[in-house]
Amino acid sequence: MTARFEDMLINSLLYGVLAAVLIFFYVPIFTLIAFSLQEGRYLTLPFEGISLKWYGELFKSATALTALRNSSLIAAFATIFSTAIGTAAAIVAVRYRFRGKLAFHALTGAPLAFPQLLLGIVLLLWFSVLGRWFGFNTGVVTAIIGHVVYITPFVMVIVAVQVYNFDPQLEDAARDCGATTWDVYRHITIPLLWPGIFSAAIFAFLLSWGNFYITYSLAGSTRTLPTFIFSGIAVGSSPLYPAIATLVFIPGILLVITAAGLRRKYSGGA
Amino acid sequence: MNTAPILQIEDIHKDYGTYQALKGVSLSVRQGEFIALVGPSGCGKTTLLKQIAGFEDATSGRISIDGRDMAGVPAAQRPTSIVFQKLALFPHMTVAENIGFPLKLRKVVPAEIAARVNEMIALMELKPIYLDRLPRALSGGEQQRVALARSMISSPKLLLLDEPLSALDVKLKKVLQSELKRLHRSVGVTFVHVTHDLEEAMMLADRICVMRAGHILQLGEPADIYYRPADAFVAGFIGETNLLPVEITRRGKDRVEYRGTGIADETGAIPVRFIADQVGTGQALMNVRPELIRRIGPGDKAECSMNAQVTEIFTKGGTVQYRAHTPEGYDLAIEIQGTSDLPMRVGEDVRLGWAKKDIWVLPAGAA
Amino acid sequence: MDHSVSRNWRDPELLLKALPSVLLQTTCFIAPLLMTFLLTFQRTRDFQLRWTWDLATWTDVFTKPHYWTILGHTLVMAAACVAISMVIAFPIAYGLSTRFKRWENEIKILITFAFITDATLKTFGWVLFLDKKGAANFLLAGLGLPPESVAFLFTDWATLLGMVYNLLPFAIFTLYLSIDNIDRNLILAAYDAGAGKWRAHWEVTLPLCKPGIWAGSVLIFLLGVGVFLEPKVLGGGTSPMSAELIRQTFETRVNWPLGAALTLVLMTVSVFLVLLFTRLLNMKRAGASA
Repeated sequence: MTARFEDMLINSLLYGVLAAVLIFFYVPIFTLIAFSLQEGRYLTLPFEGISLKWYGELFKSATALTALRNSSLIAAFATIFSTAIGTAAAIVAVRYRFRGKLAFHALTGAPLAFPQLLLGIVLLLWFSVLGRWFGFNTGVVTAIIGHVVYITPFVMVIVAVQVYNFDPQLEDAARDCGATTWDVYRHITIPLLWPGIFSAAIFAFLLSWGNFYITYSLAGSTRTLPTFIFSGIAVGSSPLYPAIATLVFIPGILLVITAAGLRRKYSGGA
Repeated sequence: MNTAPILQIEDIHKDYGTYQALKGVSLSVRQGEFIALVGPSGCGKTTLLKQIAGFEDATSGRISIDGRDMAGVPAAQRPTSIVFQKLALFPHMTVAENIGFPLKLRKVVPAEIAARVNEMIALMELKPIYLDRLPRALSGGEQQRVALARSMISSPKLLLLDEPLSALDVKLKKVLQSELKRLHRSVGVTFVHVTHDLEEAMMLADRICVMRAGHILQLGEPADIYYRPADAFVAGFIGETNLLPVEITRRGKDRVEYRGTGIADETGAIPVRFIADQVGTGQALMNVRPELIRRIGPGDKAECSMNAQVTEIFTKGGTVQYRAHTPEGYDLAIEIQGTSDLPMRVGEDVRLGWAKKDIWVLPAGAA
Repeated sequence: MDHSVSRNWRDPELLLKALPSVLLQTTCFIAPLLMTFLLTFQRTRDFQLRWTWDLATWTDVFTKPHYWTILGHTLVMAAACVAISMVIAFPIAYGLSTRFKRWENEIKILITFAFITDATLKTFGWVLFLDKKGAANFLLAGLGLPPESVAFLFTDWATLLGMVYNLLPFAIFTLYLSIDNIDRNLILAAYDAGAGKWRAHWEVTLPLCKPGIWAGSVLIFLLGVGVFLEPKVLGGGTSPMSAELIRQTFETRVNWPLGAALTLVLMTVSVFLVLLFTRLLNMKRAGASA
């Protein structure tokens, strides 16, 4: 009787905290979505009316479209490079024993605990000095490099979980069946690591797509969606910015749901 | 029968850093033989199997299969197939894809692969409806058959089995053991079976190779290993036994004189054919299997006998096991088949005896 | 279970997989850090870097209390953020690994999405929500509360709210992983030994997820000392934190050596504090078990 009561108490407490935290997480997101629907010119309440007018404005704004294009470009390249490098590093970190393994872990994982802004600044100094010597300016390429440095450790951690759950004996079994190193990768390793690689790629894309700090430091005069929005953060600005923000959410929602679905499909047993 | 060795292992050493997993192992296996490698974990049996399969290179030594030196030949190109303890079925491939995988890698045309897969399915007595299922939808025993089918489809010269039955329950294990025996007879392939289960090895193998700490302790037919173990370790490893300390006083041409505390023996001598070669004068152990000891009634006689008091009784279906304590401080294990006409009770003082032919004297040494 | 294979650096498979990340992090992380260190010994004149090799910047850093006040403020804010995040994250992580099984996936998706959404956007959302004429006050006024009840935008409290908001998911994920790894049988064993729910929690669950609590705290602390967006946007720049100061040094004053020195001071002090606390906790544990 008392145990049941205690159980109920704990349950309601936990669900209460969960609900509060979820609301907390979504307050700014829903606020932005709401404000993007304001018909009037200013970000004030009450709304003058509800409309999708600012979304229309968005597609007429050349700067917003350029920012969208830059975001996509940087995110696409950063995803490809960080996924490839991070996946390889994950296999090394989990599967191999070698001299200097600890140093390898520290080196490849360090950017995870390094504040993004400082990473951006340190890289900015580096590229500025190198740029002075070799004659280049910061821009899309340096932003991509910065993103790859920051995102690769995340990819490594996500893929490492998949590698850890992967039975390496399967590779031995494939070799025993007559598979060459390449066959093993093509038929066994990559298909089986795929859910992890795919989730990591999605994660990488979203981290890059929404990245502010590193882009801000390293993209030079190039604007991406987050840096463009940063320039418009102020209550006095127009609902154009919340409208962009809402659009930025969309690929995130789609990709997170896809990744979760995929993981569940693969984790059914085995 | 062709007696040319299909597998020849010569003085294999394998070191992992400073740890020596194999310390000079030599073994010769005949075509069509079923050989079992047994020993406690860490004895090197699985390491030896990996050397044969080609997953690891030996530190030194030579392995040849069918007369061909295997040095530098990767696992993929060896005429061997392995069945892993955890089976290692590919979870993302169907049963048919799993079984046909070795042929697919050899670029065999799909129609031929399908035909061969069907043959293997029939051989393994698997139902064809399983072909399109994923391995995890199958039971443990069925998965076992799929793994065997995948290993057999490429017609290997050597089938290596790495404790594939150890994870199964007793009943299923029995079924698959007889399956393996049948398969071995019907395909005529040489089997090398690693196991820590001696009963399994006895039941399946033509010859058993007992390993410990990177060495082969004894290689021989099951009965040899059981009744004529090379040392105390082998004797103890392969089932419960009684090892009684004796002192060899004189080693003659056809008989050996001995003294054993508490052992009554009219002649005080054992024919040499019951003595291991390494035994000299001095300390030795007399090995007597529990099932060869019997109770001696009044007026009855036995070549060797001892007094003891029964301390415990375990009834195990058809056999009854007893423990008896001797005044000299030894604990004897006795196993008696069925209902004996001289049953024993706990606390009873009894006289236990055995025949000279049931004795095996082996060197005293660390067990 | 350990199923790692021993590999030599001469092995092409190891080289091929390890080299890209090693090269990336040495050329684009370690080398820039070293460069940053070297830059602190230079000077800027007329917005141009001069290679002078002297200690002028460091003298400046160590003589102006201003920098250290800001650093102290930053550390306090980061520590507060760690404490609040951990307290909030624990029930969530605990629930996720024990009681929310039915909705586990959905909850994880919701948290992941909130986490992955760009901090700039969400911070902007908070501004719109917390502003004097923002959504919160509008809603509260609708409920009959006096106008401008929510008036803490552009204070340290708003900064702290933003920091907790942006870093909380790190706490939830690290704690979740460590609680999820606890063998349930240990907790059942504690019940079996007669411990009540709370007692089992205090004496079994909490101590066992200490590594997770510690890892999460370190991560949040290190990320927390580097925040810039929150103090600038939510705090309104009224009480700057180190990262904001560094940003200004680079951007407005174009003093690279000073910016570099301040960056290094911030990182060194934070890492030193983390190591110090790790040491203290270990000593306490060693003392307790002796």
